[in-house]
Parts: sequence; C-alpha cells; structure tokens
Amino acid sequence: MPDESKLNKEFLLQNEEIERQKKEIVQSIEYASLIQAALLPPSNLVKKVFKNHFIIYIPRDIVSGDFYWISTKEEWVYFAAADCTGHGVPGALMSILGISFLNEILSQKALLMANRVLNLLREKIMKSLHQTGEISVSKDGMDISLCVFNPETLELHFAGANNPLYYFRDNKLNIIKGDRMPIGISGKEEQSFTDNLIKLRKGDMLYIFSDGYADQFGGPDWKKLKYSRFREILEENHKKPIIEQNESLLNAFFDWKGEHDQIDDILLMGIKI
Amino acid sequence: MKLLSFRIFNYRSIIDSGWNEISPDNVTGIIGQNESGKTSILEALFSFYNGAISEDVLRSDLTLPKVSCCFDIEPKQFEKILKEKLLPEGVLKFVRSSRVICLTRIWDDDLGSRIELRGEEIIGFFNQHTESNQKYEELIQNKINKFLKKRDEAIEDREQAELMLTRETENFEKVKLLLAEAQKESKSQKKSPDKSQAEAKLNESKVLFENTREVLELKKKGLEAKRKIADGLISQARIAESSIEAGVRHIEAKEELAVAYHNLVRFQRILNTTVNEKERRGIQIELDRSNDKYVKTLQEFEYAKENYIIKKHLASKVVSGTSLTIAEREIESEKPHIESYFTREEAGNLLFGQIPEFVLFEDFSSLLPNRIDLDDILNDNRLVEGSKAARNYLIISGLTPHFFKELNNRILKQKIENLNKEVTLDFQDFWRQNIGRQNKITINFELEHYDNTIPDKSGLPYLEFWVKDKHERLYPKQRSRGVRWFLSFYLELKSAALSESGKGKVMLIDEPALSLHARAQEDVLKVFEHIKDKIQIIYSTHSPHLIDSKKLYRLLAVQRAVEEDDTSETKIFSAKSFAAASADTLSPIYTLIGSRLSEQQFIRQENNIILENIATYYYMTTMQTLMKFDKDIFFLPAASVSNVETLVNLLLGWGLDFIVLTGGNKEGLKTNAELKKNLFRNDENLARKNLINLGKFSSIEDLFSTLDFKKYILHKRIGIPESNSEFLKENKLSRTILASNFMNEVQDKRLNFNSFDGETRENFEWLFRRLEMVIK
Repeated sequence: MPDESKLNKEFLLQNEEIERQKKEIVQSIEYASLIQAALLPPSNLVKKVFKNHFIIYIPRDIVSGDFYWISTKEEWVYFAAADCTGHGVPGALMSILGISFLNEILSQKALLMANRVLNLLREKIMKSLHQTGEISVSKDGMDISLCVFNPETLELHFAGANNPLYYFRDNKLNIIKGDRMPIGISGKEEQSFTDNLIKLRKGDMLYIFSDGYADQFGGPDWKKLKYSRFREILEENHKKPIIEQNESLLNAFFDWKGEHDQIDDILLMGIKI
Repeated sequence: MKLLSFRIFNYRSIIDSGWNEISPDNVTGIIGQNESGKTSILEALFSFYNGAISEDVLRSDLTLPKVSCCFDIEPKQFEKILKEKLLPEGVLKFVRSSRVICLTRIWDDDLGSRIELRGEEIIGFFNQHTESNQKYEELIQNKINKFLKKRDEAIEDREQAELMLTRETENFEKVKLLLAEAQKESKSQKKSPDKSQAEAKLNESKVLFENTREVLELKKKGLEAKRKIADGLISQARIAESSIEAGVRHIEAKEELAVAYHNLVRFQRILNTTVNEKERRGIQIELDRSNDKYVKTLQEFEYAKENYIIKKHLASKVVSGTSLTIAEREIESEKPHIESYFTREEAGNLLFGQIPEFVLFEDFSSLLPNRIDLDDILNDNRLVEGSKAARNYLIISGLTPHFFKELNNRILKQKIENLNKEVTLDFQDFWRQNIGRQNKITINFELEHYDNTIPDKSGLPYLEFWVKDKHERLYPKQRSRGVRWFLSFYLELKSAALSESGKGKVMLIDEPALSLHARAQEDVLKVFEHIKDKIQIIYSTHSPHLIDSKKLYRLLAVQRAVEEDDTSETKIFSAKSFAAASADTLSPIYTLIGSRLSEQQFIRQENNIILENIATYYYMTTMQTLMKFDKDIFFLPAASVSNVETLVNLLLGWGLDFIVLTGGNKEGLKTNAELKKNLFRNDENLARKNLINLGKFSSIEDLFSTLDFKKYILHKRIGIPESNSEFLKENKLSRTILASNFMNEVQDKRLNFNSFDGETRENFEWLFRRLEMVIK
C-alpha cells in the first residue's frame, strides 16, 4: 500500500499543475483575444467612413471565429463580415489569417473589384493551408460578405462566399445572394466569384453578417431562430435610428437566447447610406 | 555636349540630306556603294567644324553649302555659355525643355562662313524679337523724323515772324514819320483857321502811332517766343541729327568689316592651298596683316554699333521732352537692356566654342610616314603626307619644338630613345587590350639630317620612323597595312585623349582599315566598342566586317537617287527606313545576316510581331484563333528575350517592319528600353507604334486569371496567391511545355473564348486591341 499522505501530496501537486496549466491556457487565450482586438478595425476608423453604422460583435468564447474588416483605397471603401470555420482558438487563428490576407491584397494589388478580392483571398488561404483538392487535406476556410463601395457615386460591388448582402430600400428587403462556395477548398472546382453591382441610394440600409444570429437556439420551444425570423426582426427595426436599431437587435437576440448558451460567434454589421 | 543629329545642304552630291540621327551608343556607320556620297557626309561634318571647304565641294549650280548639327546640352551649361547678354523670350524655356541646340554653318560666296544658332522654334523666337525690335526702332525713327520736321517748321515760323517784324518795324517807322509830320503841321497851323483840321490829323496820327507801336510790341514778343521755341528745338535736334550720323557710321563700319573679313578668308584660303614654303611665308605675312585689320575693324564696328544704339535711344528720349541730362542718366541705367541681346550668330559662335571637337581620320595625313621634315611638322603643314600622324606622335611623346634645340647630340639621342620606349610600351598595351594580339611591336623615331644628296635640303632635320618586331626593322610603309593603320589609329586616339579639352570628341573615319583582311576589320569594331564611351565615332564602310549584326540601328545607308547615275543626288536612309534603300546599298548587311527572307511564309513586309519566346508564341497564336482576330499578323518567336534585339536587327537589315512585344518583367522592360533608346531615340510616339510592353503583366501567362491558369494550363487545384509567372518560376515549371499542352488542349477540347472568365478575356482583349492599334 502506498503511503496515503504521499498520494495526497502527489494529488495536490497534480492539481496544482493542472491549475497552473489552465491558468496559462486562459492567459494565452486572453492574449490571443488582445491580438484579435488589435487586428479588428478601430471604431474611430469605421466611424470616419460610415457615420451611421452599428456593429454587433459577440464572441462565444474569449476569442472569435468571426471578424469584420474595413479599409480604404483611393475613393473606394472595402468592408467585409466573415465567419471562419470553427470557433474559439481555431476560428480566431483563421480570422487573423483572413484579416492579414485582406490587408495584404489591398496593399499589393491595384484597385480590385469585390470578386477579384475574394478570388485572391481564396488562393492565399488554399496555399497557406496546403489545400490541393485531395481528400485528405483540411477543408477549413471561411464564408464572407465583401463590399467595395464608392461614397461619391454610391456604387457598390458585392461578392459573397456562401454569405449574402441584405439591403432595405423603401421598406422593401432586397437580398443579394453570395456564390455557393467558401473561401477555401470545396468539393467543386473553383469558379470565379461573382461581382454584383448595386447602385445604392441615400437612405438605403445595408446588413452583412455571420450565421451566428440566425443559428442561435432559444425561444419558447428551444429552436433555431432561423433566417425567416431574422429577416422579420430586421424588417421591424430597419427604419429606427442606428443607435436604437443596435439596441433592439441586441435585445431581440438575447430575448431569443434566454437562459440558453450562445452556440456560435455573432457578427452583424448595419450601415445606413 | 554630344552630337545628336546632322543635316547637310548642297555639299557635293548632297542637296538636302534631311535630318540624320547619330546612334545613341556613339558608334554610327555609314554604308553604301562607291561614289554614293559616304565620304561627302564625313567631309561635310568636318567642314562644319573647321569651316574650310574647297571649290570642289560646290555643286554645279553653285548653290552654297550649309551644314547643321544638333547637340544635347544641359540647360545650366547653355545659360552659363550665354550669360553675357540676353536672349529673346522663349529661347531659354525651349532649351530647358528640349535640352537640344542646333548650330548651322552657312557658307557665303567667298567660301567664308558663319555659325548661327538654328532650329525652327529658336529662329521663331529670334525673328519675333527682331520684329518687335524693328517696330520699336521704327517708332523711334519716326519720332525723330517727326521732331526734325517740327523743328524745321519752327524755324520757318521764326523766320516768318522775323520777316513780319521787319515789315512791322518799317511800317512803324513810317507811322512815326507821319506822326512827326502831323505834329509839325499842327504846330505850324496853331494860329491858322485850319487849326482844327490839323489837330484832328495829329490826333489820328497819334492813335495810329499808338496802335502800330502796340502791334510792333506784340510782334516782337511773338518773335521772341518763336525764337525761343526754334532755339530749343534746334538744340534738341542736334542730338537727333547726331543719332542719324551715328546710324550712317554704323552702316559704313559694317561694310568695312565685311571687306576685312573677305580679305582674311581669301588669304587663309590661299595659304591652305600653297605648298611652296617661301610663298607660304609671304602669304602668312599678308594673312597676319589682314587679321590685324579685321580685328581693328571689328572693334570699330562694335563701337559704331554701340554708339548708334545709344545715340538713337538718347535722341528718342530728348525729342520726347526729357532733358538731355536726365536722358543721359536714364540711358546709363537702361544701357544693359538696350544693347544686350544676342544675335543668332553671336549665340551660335559662343555655343560653337563648346561643342565636341571633330577629328577627321584619313589615310593620307593620318597614316604614319616613313620620314617627314621636322619643319613640316612644326609648321603643321597638312599638305605633306603623314603630317598629322607624325604630329600626333610628337604630341604623345610630349615633344615641343624646344626639344629639338638640344645641341648635344648624345643627350638628344638618349632622350629620343627614352621617349621611344615609353610610346612603345603604351602602344603594346593598346595592341594587347583592344586587339588582343600578343606579338610585340616597337615603334621608334629618329632625328636625322639630310646629306648633300638632296642639295635643297642639305643639313635640314627630318624624322624617320621605324616599326620593329622580333625579326626585323621596317619602315611603316613596309609593314602590313593592318599594323600601320592600327598604329596610326592609336596615335590619333592617344593624341586626342591627351589634348582632352573636356568638350568631347567626334571622330570621323573614312573607310577604316580599307584594305585590311576580315579579322583586322573586326578588330577595328572592337576598338570602337572600347572607346565609344569617350569618343563619338562616325565611320564609312562597305565592308560587312565593319558592321555589328546585333547593332544595325547604328547604320545610315547612302545611295544615289538614281542608282546608275553618279551625278544624281545622294539620299540617306536610317535603319528604320532601310526598306526604301536598294539591295545593292544594303549588300554589306545581307552578306552579314543572310539574304532577304520577306518572301517566306512567316515573315512579311509588315505586321511582323516579334515575341520573346516560344511559350508566348503558342499562347498568342492560340488566343488569336480563339478570339477570331482576323487581321494579318505574323508572330516571330525569339529563342529568349535576349535574342529579341537580334531579330529586330535582322528585320531592320531586310528592311521589314516589325512590332516587338515584351513582358513587364525586368528583362522585358530592359529590352523595351534599349530598343526605345537605340531605335527611336526615346521618342515616345514613335516607340508606341513599334513597341508593346505588357506593363503590369510580367509575362504572357499573367494575362490569364489565376482560375483559368489553374484550370486550363496547370490542371491543378492549388492556391496561387502570387502571379502566375511567379508561380511558374518558383516551381521551376517549363513554360514551353505548358504552353504547347495548352495549345493542343484548346484544339482538342474545342474551347472557345467564352470558356475563359471575365478577367482573362478582358486582358487578352486589351492586348489584341493594343496590337490592332499598331498594325497596318
């Protein structure tokens, strides 16, 4: 029989070790969250470009697999909302990759339209994840809505990888669907993303988002909120002033979630033209 | 300054050569058959530099020659050279932007000449200035003339007034008499019954007297005023008259100057053609005299000109009412502006002083002789064979006339021996470095004196030259022409380098190494390459061995307008217009690059598109078919971008049109820039018609979108964030194999242009549109 006190001692030591490791992991994740926060566009930059906007960004864990991005080149504003596969640390790493690549593309290339940015982003992701279309390779990637907007002419180019663009004009919701393919490898051979040109008008209300909001379980029957309900919520709120919209959409989400856990990262960008 | 281009008028067989550009890499070859006019071009250029022409040069219709040369110039240098006076508005700005000046030498009936700053725009600016100046001068002259007229009128007025006054005085005298008579009568009639009548008469006379006196006073005052006016005008007019006199003197001085110049040129010409030493000395005295006279007349002319200008301006001010003292003061401060404008001739002469030195290398005087009289060298007697070469030798050895005054024969011989060693070592170095021969040749000169076998020259010193190798000691003329030519060429180059004035040199060489064998002729080209950074070379030849097949842009082809007629006009063709030259003229080129191939299927007279490599050829032909581009174009692939220039030269040589398509990568851009510089002198518009660069596309593969590239060329699903060409390079893939597979696949799978995505289509449409713009 081993000495009980010795066992106790070992157990205590092990416990201490686990605590120490847990603490280190949390610290690392918190550090990763700092990095991610540093990569996301600062609110004053967004404010400078879009006076009337809101961003609802609620990571499920400390770090998020969703990210938003905004940048300018010449007279054009590039902005995007993306949703990476996985959440927590893997998702966050992918989002860091995504933001870095988007910045790189914009700084290296001449002026590009929305679909060309996504084509190039896909090449970069495929290369860095060694994706070659063979069965064994990882299928990680991201879904994204990317807009290229000219505030002078109100011309907007949209390209989406599995994600759409919603916009309200004269109380009517218009949906521009993205292409049915991700940024990353998929079963089908890569095709060029589609560039959708929309002539916006003053007063139009734009939304781009990840799937977190619509996929949230909750409500009286613990069901998914679904896109149909999500669109209803937007329809109810899109005419409100931006600050109120932000609040109402947050409230609607938390009302639906209730006491349940948040199942995914949430990202919703609203922009009033 | 560097010579950029030239144009020759009325020089031997040349009526108007048109503008001809010097090769930007400093070696320009003139090819053509015998009697075509090659040598005339070199001579004309040399005449431009030294001003000398003989009557043989004149055309039978006696039209006078004119040679223009353009040079590049730094605007700062231009301003520095012409800082003494002002230039008409626009000239400076024009030179600042064009960085080019053109000078023309114009000969007159005496075969004397003058240099002028030329160029269409420049002449325009000067003419404008002259016109406005003339208008101003006319204005002044009119003012003066008007004033003189006014003065004459005032004098007339005064004379009139004087006449009137005389008359009035006479009248007054008469009235005075009448009054006296009336007084007398009144006195005598005091007691008579007619008293009242006499009194009345007296009163009347008194009134008349008073009136007449008043009139007289008035006339006197009037005359006084008119005199004052006239006197003033007369004194002012003196200034105006002296300005007219100065004008007359100015014209006289100009005529005197022309006469003095004429005499100077005449004696210079006589001296140039006189061989007899005695006669030469006599003429030299005359020449010196006329030179002194010319200098004096020139000074007088300068003074007369300045005096005239100042007097005229002074007169203009004075006649406008400014007092003489103030006018003089004003002129003093305005003086620099009044007289400080350059004429085109003055500016041309100053600039001419800074152009590169033109050196004519010709066999007669430039080949080293066997022997030459010391006097002929020291007197620079160009009419003696080999004089220039011998003189060059002395320059290189650093010898001055003083050297030969050394009386001690032993010391003199020792000194000569030392010099010979130095020159030899230096020549051996040149021989090895430039020509690559190892055999050692030594060159020597010796000072000898004529013995009494030639009584005329007995006791006079002469120099004897030797060229030695291991085996024997020979006179220059006994050596092969190759060695002699190179030796003399070395002497010319070396002495040119020693007399470096910082202005650069243009060496004109007529038929270099004419009778050398092929290898030695190619050596000449090597030497040209070696020195071209320091000296601009223009040479004439009809040897294919003196043409670099990779540098045909260096050539100008010369032929007679009517080929069989040696009296017809000489025409010059640049490399870009060889198509218009005859096959005989271009025969050295054909000997070099093979016969004309324009009759073949794949090269045509025009619309030949030279491509960098086979891969580009496959893609371009495939896409041309897919796009249904139905214009007649012929793609010619080079084996690599470095061969593009060779192909260009072949087409140039055959006189065929071409368009070059290069990639936007480093080599492609470099080739593009070289061609632009060498063929089109960096003229953007011309270059655009013949050169297409893919710009942002590094190579042809980059015109495909990444997706199409992967789908139709690579057949791989793999992330390619870099450009397609970078991917090919990094992964060491064969461009040619991929391109040829692509061509086969397109044919097999029957792809059409719409199979490609928008990006690919857009890029190729751009490229073919660009081609469409330049093809014929």
